[in-house]
Amino acid sequence: MDTVIDAIFWVFAASAVVTAVLVFVADSMVRAAYWLMASFVAVGGILVILNAQFLGLILILMMAGEMTIMAIFMVMFMMNPAGLNPMLMVHQHRTAILSGVVSFLALATVGLVAEFPNLPAPAASSPIVPLGQELLGRSMLIFESAGVALLAVMIGAIALVSQRGRYGDAEQGSLEPALEPGTNE
Amino acid sequence: MNPAIAIVFTGGSLTIGVYLATVLDSFFAARVARSHEHAGQLLLEPLRNVALFVSQRRTVTERPDRGAWALAPALLTALAAVAFIAVPLSPDLAVADIPVGIVLFGAALVQVMVAVFLHGWSPNSLFSMIGGYRFAALALSMGIPFSLVLITTAIPAESLSVGVIIESQAHLWNVLRQPLGLPIYLLTALGFAFWGPFSHPDATDLAGGTQGETSGAALLTWRTARAAILVSAAAMGSAAFLGGSLGPWIPDWAWSSLKTVLLLAAMIWAGHRMARPRMENVVKLGWLLLLPLALVDVFVSGALALWTP
Amino acid sequence: MTLSAIIVVSAAIFGVGIYGVLSQQSFVMIMMGLELMLNAAILAVAAFWWGTTGGNPEGQLLVIVVMTAMAIEAAIGFALVTNVYRARKADITEKLKRLRN
Repeated sequence: MDTVIDAIFWVFAASAVVTAVLVFVADSMVRAAYWLMASFVAVGGILVILNAQFLGLILILMMAGEMTIMAIFMVMFMMNPAGLNPMLMVHQHRTAILSGVVSFLALATVGLVAEFPNLPAPAASSPIVPLGQELLGRSMLIFESAGVALLAVMIGAIALVSQRGRYGDAEQGSLEPALEPGTNE
Repeated sequence: MNPAIAIVFTGGSLTIGVYLATVLDSFFAARVARSHEHAGQLLLEPLRNVALFVSQRRTVTERPDRGAWALAPALLTALAAVAFIAVPLSPDLAVADIPVGIVLFGAALVQVMVAVFLHGWSPNSLFSMIGGYRFAALALSMGIPFSLVLITTAIPAESLSVGVIIESQAHLWNVLRQPLGLPIYLLTALGFAFWGPFSHPDATDLAGGTQGETSGAALLTWRTARAAILVSAAAMGSAAFLGGSLGPWIPDWAWSSLKTVLLLAAMIWAGHRMARPRMENVVKLGWLLLLPLALVDVFVSGALALWTP
Repeated sequence: MTLSAIIVVSAAIFGVGIYGVLSQQSFVMIMMGLELMLNAAILAVAAFWWGTTGGNPEGQLLVIVVMTAMAIEAAIGFALVTNVYRARKADITEKLKRLRN
């Protein structure tokens, strides 16, 4: 049974890395967005294997909406969303590859060489109840701040892109409010 | 459950469910049109449709995304199956009654957004693309009330596992304890299965929308998968709100099947009786009506859970 | 499936993310690179929770916080991309050559 789980883990791990590379290799932009989705699903699968089932499923749930929005943005903003005229749109390619490889080697070395404490999480019990008690107990401040931050981001994002401000249409540019309220000067 | 048995069981149940959904659809359509059809005609209609679709010619469009076009109906079927296995039809027939069953169901159904968008994008055709966009707006507006009312059923059960939620309704069904839950759930489930009043992505005003360019076996798979999503949503609705396999006299799986068929009939009947609103009104409905009602549902259930012994 | 193996996988995804952020010209592709980096971070945090904390739920809380950060960054990133496009008609970084004023 352990070897089956190991095999599944390596399948997920390999697909996470391969689809991550495919994101930047794919010609069609919508496919790139969904390769990213596949990478997230693979990582979510690994999380489920690691007994963090709630987190893995939440990750997969979140990413469906996010990646569809990314695909829509691709179609909006990119000049070549279906990759029908493939071109290589990169700059500083060699620097980028070098940085990627260097960071991978550095982090992988840390991962392989460092001595981590060995306190495995109990595999039999479900971690949901302790998580719930922690979220609404000791760490409620963190949880609520995350909620307030998300609310602020929602309002901020809508304010940033709204076409109509308090002082008129966004196309007109902004005019300062009048010195005497209620008049036009 | 043995994986092979699980696959056969899921496939068989979903096939029966889709067959029933199609029969009910024709039945209610005939009722609305006041045409009198034989029972025999209705029961054979799905098989006639299958024969018709399989013998159609496949249409092709210019520069489609072939991989995604082939993937979309298969993905939708897979998602319907994953959503279905999250619901235990009875304590011994549970395929995947995991401790986070509700989240598994929610995650599977939200991925329908991916499948429909891909199905709309891949034919490289204008109206299909618009259908895909419509579904993105529809699913995002319906998604949060959908998840909220399902999570609310977990509050009295104190667990995210569907089996425990069914057990917690032993003395009082959730449809009575949380009256706002089932109507919101049925509406949003209709939205995710893009059926009835929410059939914008595949609508006739878009020349067929995302399925306008599909034909033949792919179209058959797409429509079957869509009905399968509705069946899975009905199954979860019966488990979370109507007490699933609980009930006297007849065996567990008979009760849950009966309740599932009841909800399926209710949704299909509503699909034929309710008009399809404009897309702007659908988005307003989702955010301005369903979301506050779902939040009220959560607060009231939470308050009841905290303050009653 | 040891902790080191998962960290190596996470490092690989992170490396691909850095490659993406540094090399891509289009704003949306840069954001995809950022998402990949955060993906790697989530995997690493979950691996450390699984292997070294003995089931302490604060590890899962950190994963949730990183997911929240990912959502926030994606939202604001898209809002800014939209604004830059409206203001400068630019969808790739090469078109933004000067800071105005």
